[in-house]
Amino acid sequence: MKIYTGTGDKGKTSLFSGERVSKASDRIEAYGDLDELNSVLGALIAHLPSDRSDLVGELQQIQADMFVIGAWLATTANSPAAGSLAPIEVKQIVFLENAIDRLDDLLPDLKNFILPGGHISAAWAHVARSICRRTERHAVLVLEESDDEETAKELTRALIYLNRLSDYLFVLARECNRLHGLSDIPWKKS
Amino acid sequence: MTTGEKDYATEIIEQRWISKKTFEIRLRRPETFNFRPGQRISLKYENFERDYSLASSPDETHLTLCIRHVEGGQLSRVLGDAAKGARFSFCGPHGYFTFKPSQRPAVLVASGTGIAPFRSMVRSGLTPEFLLHGVATSAELYYAEELKAASGTYIPCLSQPSKSQTHFAGRVTDYLPRHLPPANYDFYLCGRREMIRDVTLLVDELFEESFIYTETFY
Repeated sequence: MKIYTGTGDKGKTSLFSGERVSKASDRIEAYGDLDELNSVLGALIAHLPSDRSDLVGELQQIQADMFVIGAWLATTANSPAAGSLAPIEVKQIVFLENAIDRLDDLLPDLKNFILPGGHISAAWAHVARSICRRTERHAVLVLEESDDEETAKELTRALIYLNRLSDYLFVLARECNRLHGLSDIPWKKS
Repeated sequence: MTTGEKDYATEIIEQRWISKKTFEIRLRRPETFNFRPGQRISLKYENFERDYSLASSPDETHLTLCIRHVEGGQLSRVLGDAAKGARFSFCGPHGYFTFKPSQRPAVLVASGTGIAPFRSMVRSGLTPEFLLHGVATSAELYYAEELKAASGTYIPCLSQPSKSQTHFAGRVTDYLPRHLPPANYDFYLCGRREMIRDVTLLVDELFEESFIYTETFY
């Protein structure tokens, strides 16, 4: 099966809601960021300890959620295509909040800023966290352009989800170091 | 992705060739199976699995598939030879290639068996402003009569026309720039990858503010 379509060769792409838009638009930036984030989550998963299938499962659930959020980012306001999309549910945000609390309980209190890094899995978690922040910034632009209630409601949930996700990835980075017997590297003012 | 989905058991009620290279099969419709016009099912047989768009409407008691016999194609060969009563399983429905009502006129463009989801839509009551069917010869216009009756403008486009035929001689990509009045449309494209690419690029150029929904047959 050939996977290339050739329909984007002149710089445009199709949204889920049917419009043809420039690949340089904010909306495409936003779900492109999300795609990048999902790939980096894959790299992070590949570096997790083999006996932590619980964390792998958690991250794969997040990867699946990325597709739902991506579909909303690819759908313009007032589109009938929105009727085909799964909603972003509060329970998906609660899932992240519970995971943050669980990991945070395992970690020593943080007294300084820390440098991103340590074990390779922690380093990937920090890369994912910073891409998540960028995704959030671009998603805000998309939300600001949305003028119907339903789409705005879903995008607002997407923003909350992304905001929690970056916090989750921060504590997960620290947990990855802890799992490998490494301490966080404190920031020292030079 | 089909993992974890419910499998439905079905069997062939009828199989008939509707052109030299294309056949239609009717499957028993499981009572609990529902779908929207334009959606697909994944038909399974032994280790093979392939997606087919449904050509019947959700109001019908059976499921119709319109299948092109592919030389070397594993499942199309099995289905082409299958007898009444042959059992299969399937999962679904899949896909988002459903009709989205809007203020813009709808232009449905199919190549070959890509007509299947449009037939489902039309049998469900849709009356599109334009319905183009691109095929090689008039012998492949298997649903011409019923589509002609249902669509505002049904336009067969023949890439290998005979001298005596009266249909448009040329591909759908020849028809659109010459005859579709300038406007913004909702294009629904279904069929071969090459057709979808060529029509999409043409829409970008000539019908710039139009919307495009696609379903690619591989």
